[in-house]
Amino acid sequence: MAVTPADKALRAPVRHAKRKPLRKRFALAAYIALLPMALTVVFAYLGTMLWSLRTSFTNSRTFASTSFAGVSQYVRLFNNDRWMLSLQNIVIYGVLFIVICLVIGLLLAVFIDQKVVAEGALRTVFLYPYAMSFVATGLVWQWILNPELGIQEVLHRIGFTHARFDWIVDQDRVIYTLVIATVWQASGLVMALLLAGLRGIDDEIWKAARIDGIPRWRVYVSIVIPMLGASISTAFILLFVMVIKLYDAVVAMTQGGPGTASEVPAKFIMEYLFGRANLGLASAASIVLLITVLAILAPVFYVRSRALRLRDAR
Amino acid sequence: MNSMKKLVVSVFAVVAASSAAHADPLKATVIHWWTSGGESAAIKQFADAYNKAGGLWVDNAVAGADQARSTALNRIMGGDPPTAAQFNTSKQFHDIIDQGLLNNVDDVAAKENWDATFPPSIIASIKSNGHFYAAPVDIHMPAWFFYSKSAFQKAGIPKEPANYDEFIADLDKLKAAGVIPLALGGQAWQEKITFDAVFADVGGPDLYLKIYRDRDVNAVKSDAFKKVLTQFKRLHNYVDPGSPGRNWNDATALVISGKAGVQIMGDWAKGEFVAAKQSAGKDFGCFPGFGPHSPYLVAGDVFVFPKTDDANAVKAQKLLATVMTSPAAQVAFSAKKGSIPIRSDIDDSSLDMCAKEGIAIMKDKSRQLPNPEMLTPPDINGALQDVITNFWNKNQSVEDAQKAFASGLKS
Amino acid sequence: MTAPRHPVKRRSRFTPGRLGVYAFLLTSALFFLLPLYVMLVTSVKPMTEIRLGNILSLPMHFTLDAWRVAWQSACTGLDCKGIQVGFWNSVRIVIPSTVLSILVGAVNGYALSFWKPRGASTLFAILLMGAFIPVQVMVYPLVRVLATVHLFSSLPGIVVIHTIFGMPVMTLLFRNYYAALPHELFQAARVDGGGFWRIFLQLMVPMSTPIIVVAIIMQVTGIWNDFVLGLVFAGTKNLPMTVQLNNIINTTTGERLYNVNMAATILTSMVPLAIYFVSGRWFVRGIASGAVKG
Repeated sequence: MAVTPADKALRAPVRHAKRKPLRKRFALAAYIALLPMALTVVFAYLGTMLWSLRTSFTNSRTFASTSFAGVSQYVRLFNNDRWMLSLQNIVIYGVLFIVICLVIGLLLAVFIDQKVVAEGALRTVFLYPYAMSFVATGLVWQWILNPELGIQEVLHRIGFTHARFDWIVDQDRVIYTLVIATVWQASGLVMALLLAGLRGIDDEIWKAARIDGIPRWRVYVSIVIPMLGASISTAFILLFVMVIKLYDAVVAMTQGGPGTASEVPAKFIMEYLFGRANLGLASAASIVLLITVLAILAPVFYVRSRALRLRDAR
Repeated sequence: MNSMKKLVVSVFAVVAASSAAHADPLKATVIHWWTSGGESAAIKQFADAYNKAGGLWVDNAVAGADQARSTALNRIMGGDPPTAAQFNTSKQFHDIIDQGLLNNVDDVAAKENWDATFPPSIIASIKSNGHFYAAPVDIHMPAWFFYSKSAFQKAGIPKEPANYDEFIADLDKLKAAGVIPLALGGQAWQEKITFDAVFADVGGPDLYLKIYRDRDVNAVKSDAFKKVLTQFKRLHNYVDPGSPGRNWNDATALVISGKAGVQIMGDWAKGEFVAAKQSAGKDFGCFPGFGPHSPYLVAGDVFVFPKTDDANAVKAQKLLATVMTSPAAQVAFSAKKGSIPIRSDIDDSSLDMCAKEGIAIMKDKSRQLPNPEMLTPPDINGALQDVITNFWNKNQSVEDAQKAFASGLKS
Repeated sequence: MTAPRHPVKRRSRFTPGRLGVYAFLLTSALFFLLPLYVMLVTSVKPMTEIRLGNILSLPMHFTLDAWRVAWQSACTGLDCKGIQVGFWNSVRIVIPSTVLSILVGAVNGYALSFWKPRGASTLFAILLMGAFIPVQVMVYPLVRVLATVHLFSSLPGIVVIHTIFGMPVMTLLFRNYYAALPHELFQAARVDGGGFWRIFLQLMVPMSTPIIVVAIIMQVTGIWNDFVLGLVFAGTKNLPMTVQLNNIINTTTGERLYNVNMAATILTSMVPLAIYFVSGRWFVRGIASGAVKG
């Protein structure tokens, strides 16, 4: 093995008389470098969260008012069928969207990693949906999934006259159509993220595996994918953010319909913020959403930070 | 020497006169949501008239009514208010009035005698505490019945229906002829418009006002309202399965191509017909309701004037208010927009057949019925829209719908 | 080194495994391309054909009018000059915003991952929570904040806003990426006497190429396609192209010209697409391996 700088350092005489342990040395530069983040967190994000919290306890309409309303907005919220339906929808949608995007993204990344012909073109094909504004592409999906304009109609025309694909007008199935369209849009990004992670893996591993005669797919399953842990975790969080922020797709494809069947929290909040001029209720909804996210992410964080601490302590 | 002095004096005079005539134009930044081709041609009428009167119109168009209104609010709060911002003739901007963020246009109203020229429902919307806070610019009727002449011919319908039962019979004829009877875009606001059309025609103006204006919960529980809901739900049989989620323009396209018979939509739909080169009375027909006393729903747009102390901006605001409500600009605007002017003292010969009929109806004050948005705050409007869309899309009993409507009204 | 147990399999082009790979990729490509096909076909049809509703059929009367109109003469309000009006504004917003947000994200990720100052992970947790707040809810207070520092309605203002909104995801991206790199490199560099910035610029940045590419893809796409923030914070002189795009597509009660809408959307997406295409060069393997051996 080559002599690494670490080896050299260990053998070199100690240059400084006083040497603090590496980790605990006070690095002023790090604190200064993190100043923009600290300012943003405190003034932009924390400030907004606290402001929302305060507003959710008021009767604010178009403007933030100070007329204290206790928890009445929260009571209204949980008595609101649309809100409860939106929470239900986002859970179903979220699980499906995240799982399918991760699976498809991973498969695409792994397959593209096989030194295929026209890799650049394929990558662009899978990534281009992400580049397009969903306002127009959502309408296209609405047309494609509409039973009279899209797939069902095409199937009828070529002879399958009893084929049915009218999920988008079916109150119980419309949420799946949202999954289809948004998976189309986001899988490419997951693929790009995982491909970057894959490409960061040392070539030595491939060579060693080939020499040992391990079949390629086993290398992926047992070695590579576990090494992609960080990339997968990033992809998961990105997808989770997209789930919570789901809005454009719903507005472009179904407008929350049929009726209110495809209502989602972000759309609910937006409508009460603007169209219905009820800042108080919208703020309460945002806070509830945030707390739900915190409840889901906190355990994930805890597990991950424990794993990292164990790894660093080794 | 004398001629030299005269020359100098006259040069001075000319310079002085020209600088007085070419005073800096009054700049006005205007936020509105009219961005399509037809709407652009309409707003151009206002902009041209304003520029000719010595102003400089700076256009800040933002598509999407909610988006445009929130942009105006954000600019007001950010300290960079527009000179004028568009709202609907409704209660949307009354919160802003209460916060003291709007300038009033009382002197324009007094000079132009708005109290006498505009319909009473509009005056009620733009006035608050005795002051005028908005300049109305158009009247739209959201519940016209548009129909394809060719589809009616195909179904053997000789004339427009005279009452609701005849209308249902006509829908049956259309169905039998293989045409989609009612072209509906299954979006909540369109379903609400359809409901309000049935409400006004079947329930009558008294019940309508009792519920929307007086918020009388007993009226909601009455049999008369039950009848309204039932008649409304009957229309569901005449709508095609692909209706949910459809844009209103796509529903109009069905009528334009003769694939569907009737669409209940606002008079802005004429823009789509015009874009498809169809003309009222020839390719498509329009009627506002059933019978010679059918109610005429009044809705529209106004411009409000955010508070500013800048003297030039205030002058610009007053000039805008005057120009936009002037007869000539009103007619020119309406011709392009598909709406009808807010004042009746105009020459309507250049407007299309449907608009002319609307203007004639407006002369009968008893037929004017304010749009629900003018009577209820946005929050309650939204809640009622939710009730109606649920009733339309689900198998909900009429009694349950009545209860839901009543609680929405009270919320 | 042990002798190979089996002869190394010759990578023939037609193994079932490889066919399977291509089959999957091609089927997926078809699914992904379907909406693009509909958009392209719609954009070259006249409205009379579009109203008939056959979304998958090829045009009977092929016409590029919609593209011309979308670029230069579509009505976006009083002006009918198409989307080209805002093109340079979008460029002037995207470049500084992307650079700044990626830089800040990279520095944050680096500091969080290797240096771990006290309290930093709490800040990071709050930052990440912030990514879940709906944009519109944050706009309200941010308008006030920017107005106080006189940055409202200005180009620097919108750049700051994009940096703020991009910070959670960018920081996450880099932090997780650096967490996966071997920490021995960093420790060795510290022992060698490297300071915060030296290690960052000379060691980390060169190794970060794949993640920087992903970050650029995300930021260019997000900022170029952003509409709400540009509308509120950029000021009327700097409105990005997406404002005109929105005005063309989203008319409330105006007539909708679908062919123009589709053409305008595709035109607007050309810039992010170009970035994706060009970024291919950097998706190469073995960036980190060089450093480990070195």
